[in-house]
Amino acid sequence: MGEMTLVEVRGLRLALGGRTILDDVSFAISAGEVVGLLGPNGAGKTTTLSVLSTLRRPDAGTVVVAGHSVSDAPAAVRSALGVVPQSIALYPSLSARENLWFFARAARLRGGAARAAVDRALALVGLADRASDVVATFSGGMQRRLNLACGLLHAPRVVLLDEATVGVDPQSRERILDAVRGQATRGAAVLFSTHLLEEAERVCDRVVLLDHGRVIASGTPAALVHELGEGLRLTLVTRDPLPAGWLQGAAAGSAAGAPVVTPRGHEAQVTLATLADAALVLERATATGGDVLEFHLHQTDLQDVFLRLTGRELRD
Amino acid sequence: MGALGPLFAKDLRLLWRDRAGLFFLMIAPMVVIAVAGFSLANLYGADPSGQTAYELPFVNEDGGTLGRSIRERLANETSVRLQPVATRAEAEDLVRRKRAGSALVVPAGTEAALDRGEPARLVLYVDTVKYLERLNVRAKLSELREDLARERATRLADDARAERERVAQQLGELRSRTLRAHDELEAAWNDAAKRRRGAEASIARARDDVAQALDARLAPLRAYLDQLAAKRRAFEDWLAELRRLAGSRADAIPPPPAFPEPPPMVSAAGALPKLALELPALPALPKLDVPDVALPPPPAAVRASLGVDEVNVGGGAVTMNTFDQNVPGFAVTFILLGMLLGVSLGLVDERDWGTLDRLRAMPVSLTQVLVAKLGARFCVGVAQMMVLLAVGWLCFGVSLGPEPWALVLPTIGIVFAGAAFGLVVAGATRSREALLPVGSIVIMTMAAVGGCWWPIDLEPRWMREVALAFPTTWAMDAFNDLMMRHRRHEAALVPTAVMLTYGLVYLAAGVALYRRRLR
Repeated sequence: MGEMTLVEVRGLRLALGGRTILDDVSFAISAGEVVGLLGPNGAGKTTTLSVLSTLRRPDAGTVVVAGHSVSDAPAAVRSALGVVPQSIALYPSLSARENLWFFARAARLRGGAARAAVDRALALVGLADRASDVVATFSGGMQRRLNLACGLLHAPRVVLLDEATVGVDPQSRERILDAVRGQATRGAAVLFSTHLLEEAERVCDRVVLLDHGRVIASGTPAALVHELGEGLRLTLVTRDPLPAGWLQGAAAGSAAGAPVVTPRGHEAQVTLATLADAALVLERATATGGDVLEFHLHQTDLQDVFLRLTGRELRD
Repeated sequence: MGALGPLFAKDLRLLWRDRAGLFFLMIAPMVVIAVAGFSLANLYGADPSGQTAYELPFVNEDGGTLGRSIRERLANETSVRLQPVATRAEAEDLVRRKRAGSALVVPAGTEAALDRGEPARLVLYVDTVKYLERLNVRAKLSELREDLARERATRLADDARAERERVAQQLGELRSRTLRAHDELEAAWNDAAKRRRGAEASIARARDDVAQALDARLAPLRAYLDQLAAKRRAFEDWLAELRRLAGSRADAIPPPPAFPEPPPMVSAAGALPKLALELPALPALPKLDVPDVALPPPPAAVRASLGVDEVNVGGGAVTMNTFDQNVPGFAVTFILLGMLLGVSLGLVDERDWGTLDRLRAMPVSLTQVLVAKLGARFCVGVAQMMVLLAVGWLCFGVSLGPEPWALVLPTIGIVFAGAAFGLVVAGATRSREALLPVGSIVIMTMAAVGGCWWPIDLEPRWMREVALAFPTTWAMDAFNDLMMRHRRHEAALVPTAVMLTYGLVYLAAGVALYRRRLR
């Protein structure tokens, strides 16, 4: 583990009820780094987080957090952790301040330090004016922000966030994402599990893509898009179907998949090498008798990479 | 252990915020205790308020003091509401129309028969369907009959005692008068003896006086006789000389005349005969021994009839207030509900809220979480029990025994056992839906079999033996000992130790199950 590496997962395996949940998962997170843990439902993201947060013991592999093995020194690992679970993990009948106070005390903060941490956390998530209100009266976004604050108030060295922005309004999401970045800025290692790829692209320095319990890709979002993406994609909607091989011979691009019929018309996708090729492809489509009704130009992003790697079938 | 304090405070705060829970903890038991207490008020034949008194039509055909006495006594009974009616038919009709479960008739001539020493009987019209009412009225009448018989016997005994005292007093007076007469007689007797002795002394003195006077009168005579005796001896000497001188002629001398011999001279005192006063000697007075007559006690028939004095060996009341059973019984039941469901549902809540996993990912051990939850519930449970017992004492007149503080002992035992069992239930069930029926069944069974809802002695022997496996049985035994049997804290030590042992076993099993459940 490098000097700045605060989380190191190597060859992690875990089976539950005879089913392999995690299979040879490896990744690392350095101090000041936000790593996104991506994957479809059931990919093993939450299980990975539960192993990191010492709730589950791995069957095999090495998991080291802040220099301590989760298997051998779980108590030391917990002292370094700040966990923001996927579900709202708050006491609904207590106020925001009471929740924060309790979790600050549970995190071994005392007296003035605990009070200061509570005030900081309330300010961080914008709940200072609702500090005395009972959590049950909060909106989903407020609860989500408080949920985040409870995991961060003791300034942990390692922060684990599991779907921290699920079901929140854009304002709350922005506040949460800012807070996540802020943790990295102060030097924490952040593991950010999400299925919102746009968020991951925005917040994460690197991402680890899990599927069926295995790491299928990892790297910076830009690198993944660059390595695994298709660049520019032009989507054409024509009144009539384009004839077979309509793009043959054109140096402008290549057809991406078979044309499909949609309610709007006949849809065809073309991968472009450069933006300038778009005009050539449009001309070609018009020339081959396709009455172009509309077209869309799309830059390949992390979601495209994700779908390409994990497929489009539904997961449970 | 650093997180234990905050965890404990958090659990107390959660409970405080849970108004429904607080209601359940405090008000609901009181309501149930009151409802059950008043509903079952007559179960033990003693309704403290009189609200549930049975209607009892009453006919006094006898019209005497006995009938009036019965009526007055029944009128003062809180468990029956006396309804005097004029005729036997009217009373019978009230029972037939289900207005009353029984009706009492004092037949004419009852008192007279008793006065004559003949048996007499009251008549009780009953509706057999109203079994409990009939039983309680019957019991009440038995008590009343015993009281009346006892009073009657006491009155007769008092009369006999008074008569006996009067006779004893008369005998006493007679005895004292006899003794006084004897004393007077003895004094007179002694006086007579004294007078006799005086008379004898006077006679002796008179005799001496006579002797002296006689001696004085005889003195010249004694002197003359002495001279005469001397002259005789001188004459005899002269004659002898004469004869000697007469020589041969002496024989011719005639013998002189013989001098008479002087009588012997004795003193008059010795010569006087003793003057004995021939008074009859006083017979000795017989020793008067007047016996102190002990009158025999009144005959057995006059004494009070055989009664039964019930004595609570612990010193408490012999009758049982229904609240004596219900207050500790339902308090224990609700303590179990509060502890068992409180702990288990509290853990389910922590699981459902996600806070348990969050805590487990913090520098907080699962043991601390469990201990804090159990500890908070334990404190609340002890306070709840104390409040319920205090309410029972204040509102329902329940006795707290000679050492009210000792009630803390079984309270600690049952609260600890209940809380620990809550952990077992939480560890043994997967969901809230499973927990509620399992918890309810466990609580109901423990409470019912353990004697929380009815005296355990109503249960068959085998069930009572099975009940020893439940902490509720030991709790009720200890509460009954302290509150109803008026025993001291020593009586609660063993049950409390047993409950704590159960609690430790539950705790060990619960922690193991719960850890397994979290894996």
